[in-house]
Amino acid sequence: MNTVDEILDYAIDQEQQAADFYADMAKRAEKGGMKEIFLEFSAEEERHRDKLLNVKQGDQELHANQAVINLKISDYLVDVEPHENISYQDALIVAMKRERAAFRLYSDMAEKVTEPALQDVFLGLAKEEAKHKLFFESEYDERVLKDN
Amino acid sequence: MSLKDLISPFFVWQRAFEKPYTVGLKPIVERPGAPAYRGFHINMSDDCVGCGSCFTICQNHAIDMVKVDGLEAHGGDSGLRPRFDYGRCCWCGLCVDICTAGSLRMTNEYAWFTTNPDDFRFVAGMENKSWDGRTGGYHRHPDYHLFPPKRIEMEMLAPEESVASFTEVAKGYTEEQAKLEADRCVECGICVATCPAHMDVPDYIHSIRDGDYEKGLQLMYRTNPFPATCGRICTRRCESVCPVGIQGEPVAIRWLKRFIVDQVAEADYARILPNVEADTGKRIAIVGAGPGGLSAAYYLRLKGHAVEVFESQAQAGGMLRYGVPSYRLPDPALDKDIEHIRSLGVEIHFNHSIGRDTAFSDLLDNYDAVFVSTGLNVPSQMRIQGEDHPRVMDGLKLLDDVANGKDPQIGTSVAVIGGGNVAMDAARVSRRLGAEVTVLYRRRIEDMPADTEEIHEAQAEGCIFVTQAIPVEALNAAQSDQVTLKWGEAEMLQDPKGGRPRPVLQEERMHLDTFDTVVSAIGQGSNLDYIPTEISDQLQIKWGKFIPGDYQQMVLNKLFVGGDVANATADAISAIEDGHHAARGIHRFLDTGQRG
Ligand SMILES: Cc1cc2nc3c(=O)[nH]c(=O)nc-3n(C[C@H](O)[C@H](O)[C@H](O)COP(=O)(O)OP(=O)(O)OC[C@H]3O[C@@H](n4cnc5c(N)ncnc54)[C@H](O)[C@@H]3O)c2cc1C
Ligand code: SF4
Ligand code: SF4
Repeated sequence: MNTVDEILDYAIDQEQQAADFYADMAKRAEKGGMKEIFLEFSAEEERHRDKLLNVKQGDQELHANQAVINLKISDYLVDVEPHENISYQDALIVAMKRERAAFRLYSDMAEKVTEPALQDVFLGLAKEEAKHKLFFESEYDERVLKDN
Repeated sequence: MSLKDLISPFFVWQRAFEKPYTVGLKPIVERPGAPAYRGFHINMSDDCVGCGSCFTICQNHAIDMVKVDGLEAHGGDSGLRPRFDYGRCCWCGLCVDICTAGSLRMTNEYAWFTTNPDDFRFVAGMENKSWDGRTGGYHRHPDYHLFPPKRIEMEMLAPEESVASFTEVAKGYTEEQAKLEADRCVECGICVATCPAHMDVPDYIHSIRDGDYEKGLQLMYRTNPFPATCGRICTRRCESVCPVGIQGEPVAIRWLKRFIVDQVAEADYARILPNVEADTGKRIAIVGAGPGGLSAAYYLRLKGHAVEVFESQAQAGGMLRYGVPSYRLPDPALDKDIEHIRSLGVEIHFNHSIGRDTAFSDLLDNYDAVFVSTGLNVPSQMRIQGEDHPRVMDGLKLLDDVANGKDPQIGTSVAVIGGGNVAMDAARVSRRLGAEVTVLYRRRIEDMPADTEEIHEAQAEGCIFVTQAIPVEALNAAQSDQVTLKWGEAEMLQDPKGGRPRPVLQEERMHLDTFDTVVSAIGQGSNLDYIPTEISDQLQIKWGKFIPGDYQQMVLNKLFVGGDVANATADAISAIEDGHHAARGIHRFLDTGQRG
């Protein structure tokens, strides 16, 4: 990945893969109501993809310096494997962890590259992922950690 | 009669064509009213809650409660405001004295000239008046109340005594205490709208004043077949809106309810309460013998339907039996409610799980309607490293063991994780089992979803609260029968979107503490696995909860749902109301075939 466009293409592909992953989970989910949850997750990923498409076309910008709150909820949770009979708590953990992994990937890449333009794109992408992580962590905080 | 007497009335006519002195004009020299003069009314409409106490007390019928444009009724506000009729008012000031909100007062303005007599009927505070800014006039002295601002205190076991056993902590009112407390009610009915079951609070409180407890019981059973239970553990939304609480403490509605039930022997219930109507030949299956299921069972049975309840546990009551501990809700009180429901012929199949012993689809096939109220009985996992440590236990299991007379073997030092009712009960139960208890909670005390009364009682009983504490790992301790909890301090961060503040772990401020047992009580979810996918796919379910339509009905016409598994409030009274509401919907559906 040597150009801004290549990086964005990669990121767009990742969001598409995530959307497909959740759409597939929705097909397989057995628990009542989980289909809708996965479809919502999938739609959320499609929104992320569309935003990056807009960025690539120059209609929107990434902000490498924006402050995003890190609730650190997923950082200390165990990994869970997605499966057909997954609960909504675990589904949220899967989602939080995926966003966290993406955030770390882009943050690491930003450290590795030297060219400022590329660094900015990676940092901007990392911030996007941090926002997605915050979205799922806030959901987790509201719905799962209700009494906590 | 002299001639003068006969003619004199005609002299009046000579004034008929003169300019009047008073109409439209104030006296030339305006004399201010005395500082505490009882002149025209002012009502701070934003503070007024429309309780109507002014209307009730007015001996001249000079006040009406009227709907005002732009004001809507909402929790604790009837949306009505007092309209004064100065053709009737005698300026006695009783309305000011009784005003629960302290919003009403009188100015020392006393002169008002208008050619339109209708102007003298006005909604104070909602119409501009020349005396609006006036500060003088009659105010009720803040220390003077027509009803005592403080409630009659409920006698409780002292904390040293309460932690020594599972004896009920609240002792109950004596008749004298209950009557004094009942006298504080201004009978406004604001609470009726807020109570999920819309219980007729003012009238049953009135029955205490009259000493007619049988009538009080009848009134309660109209919308709630669990009054002995709710008289002890209700979340009492009603009290949170009682306007007597605006300038003092709200009427102790819950304790008055308990008082009434405690006065009537169960043996008299059959004579006092309504009986079953003629058999309809319809059969209804209910899944779950918690308050939701049994409330539906009660009202359906009264209508003459045959009701069968399927319950996976060995006893009825759901979380009220297996969750709420007996020092808050003793078994005999819960049994009093349940036994009356069963006495009407409601059949309960115990140790019978739907999904395991009978297929859910069989219920839909074989009964005229099905009501589901299976509650939230799956504890949320913390999902931290080491959670499967043998010394980590969930709060529901602890409470379930104690309710079943089993020793949960928690040892002498216990950490409870969480801030809801389950956490408070787990903590207080652990104290009763002889443990030192530390409650760890991610947020602040004021964010705890547990009832404040429970929090205070837990503190009084010696539970130590560590707030803004986030558990991150359970580790093996030096001794194999202990567990070490790693937890970090949290800072509260304002939610930019306006939600409740969120705790953020401070990784540099971690702690290690060792306990005999860590009890996790961070929330519960549902288990709907008994519904096969081909049925659940047709239903609206979100975050593990059903989303019912009107009358608690689902898209499958025969299926009605309620209780914790279908509402957002997850308390007993909401489950009871859901059951009653569904019963009305089922009866209507069976009677007319109409959907909700
Ligand atoms: C520790 C604790 C303390 C609480 N304190 C209070 C309080 O102070 N005040 C208050 O108002 N509320 C309190 N609550 C909440 C209250 O208990 C619940 O809101 C209420 O019991 C919900 O009623 P329900 O009928 O929806 O479900 P539940 O009471 O949970 O009853 C559901 C029933 O369904 C049965 N069931 C489940 N699945 C099946 C199946 N497949 N087949 C057959 N049977 C099944 C269960 O065994 C259970 O008996 C507390 C809850 C807990 C856990
Ligand atoms: S008594 Fe006070 S609060 Fe109640 S309606 Fe009258 S003015 Fe409003
Ligand atoms: S209990 Fe309070 S809210 Fe209810 S009727 Fe009495 S005074 Fe009004």
